[in-house]
Amino acid sequence: MCKNHFNPIHCIIPPYMLTRLMESGNKKIADLAINSNFRSFRFHNDRIFFQQSSLHEKTILGLIAKQTGKEIMQMEVYDCKQKTDLAGATLLWDSKTNQKLTSVAGKNVIKGGKASWDFYWQLFGRNSIDNKGLLIRQYVHYDKGMDNAYWDGRRMVYGDGDGMVFTSFTSDIDVIGHELTHGVTENEANLDYENQAGAMNESFSDIFGIMIKQRFNNQDVKKSDWLIGEKVLIGPKYALRSMKAPGTAYINHPELGNDPQPATMDKYENLPNTQSGDWGGVHINSGIPNFAFYVAAYNIGGYAWEKAGRIWYAILTDSSLAQNAKFIDVKNLTIVHAEKIFGINSPEVRAVKQGWTEAKV
Amino acid sequence: MKIKLVRTGGFIPITKAVESDVNLTDKELAGLLKIIQSGPSAPRIKDGNYYELTVGSNSTPVDLEKVPDEYKALFSKLKSDLKIVK
Repeated sequence: MCKNHFNPIHCIIPPYMLTRLMESGNKKIADLAINSNFRSFRFHNDRIFFQQSSLHEKTILGLIAKQTGKEIMQMEVYDCKQKTDLAGATLLWDSKTNQKLTSVAGKNVIKGGKASWDFYWQLFGRNSIDNKGLLIRQYVHYDKGMDNAYWDGRRMVYGDGDGMVFTSFTSDIDVIGHELTHGVTENEANLDYENQAGAMNESFSDIFGIMIKQRFNNQDVKKSDWLIGEKVLIGPKYALRSMKAPGTAYINHPELGNDPQPATMDKYENLPNTQSGDWGGVHINSGIPNFAFYVAAYNIGGYAWEKAGRIWYAILTDSSLAQNAKFIDVKNLTIVHAEKIFGINSPEVRAVKQGWTEAKV
Repeated sequence: MKIKLVRTGGFIPITKAVESDVNLTDKELAGLLKIIQSGPSAPRIKDGNYYELTVGSNSTPVDLEKVPDEYKALFSKLKSDLKIVK
């Protein structure tokens, strides 16, 4: 008898022998053999499935226990005092001492940073930007009237806006989630920041940025306005981007003119891969995969992060996603992951395919 | 001498520019450009802004963090005068 079992039939038995035992006249032996055959079938299929799943897929599916729960967010917020010297910025707040703040921008980035950390940790078991508990460093009041926010490879930096066209870039949680997600992407797929891969890099930041905001505000796909930065760009009719209708975030804006984002691949902008060409239009053409995600998430319904978010996180953390991936590569991977997570003929897979079809990818 | 500073890039890609007459000799400008020009392998900052300085017919990508102290006031003024190119 196998020393790990009390039932000899649970040990390794050749299939022909198991078949004979299932047909045994002894009911007890036949029942055990049928039971064993069923277990073997399930075990075999489970093993194949697990072998083909990545670590992150297993985490998403709840197949790996989340980390112990001892991990806590670590964050520091610095005040640049309207200068550009990041090294000379003053520490305004840190998560260890959690001192009181009067700076609105400081409060905004703490709120957005916490919402982002919670999103990645509570949904995907991801411990910060690098999944190793990286200290989140955020710099506010950068430069005089700076109308921008960026991720420099180590930290997030926010300007106060010029006060006429733009207000503080800390005003919207989705912008903060966008910048933090650049760090996540850099630690995962590390997509090239040019052409289609660069537009995907931007799109991942918008997709996770909007979901971080939706989750913070408890908004489902119907309640959300799917706008990025609607407070940052001054004026009730304006936002920085629209995922629901790329190209409509601002129309006839007195300073900016019209939102240049396309929603579909036939309108893809072939821009030069230069500074002035936005590295091949990474902030322009991101409208296409943004729209694909919006359609997929909307058609799936409910909260975007629960299903569509799982699929897109699985791609972002899939080691087979090439650094120079094109939209079609991402499309194919979303379908593969949707099939793995929800089943081949599931409504989720149909919604994902519909999203890419609508975006004409 | 007339110089033009152009800013591109950012969270939404807008172009801002300013032109200004400066009291600098050709030699001083050449020396300044040598110091502040950005290297070809400068990292691509996600959502970052980029600056280009045009003198005559020559445009050079520049890193304003490298601006020497004596020119900081000049570039601070140029940056504050940047206007969106429509």
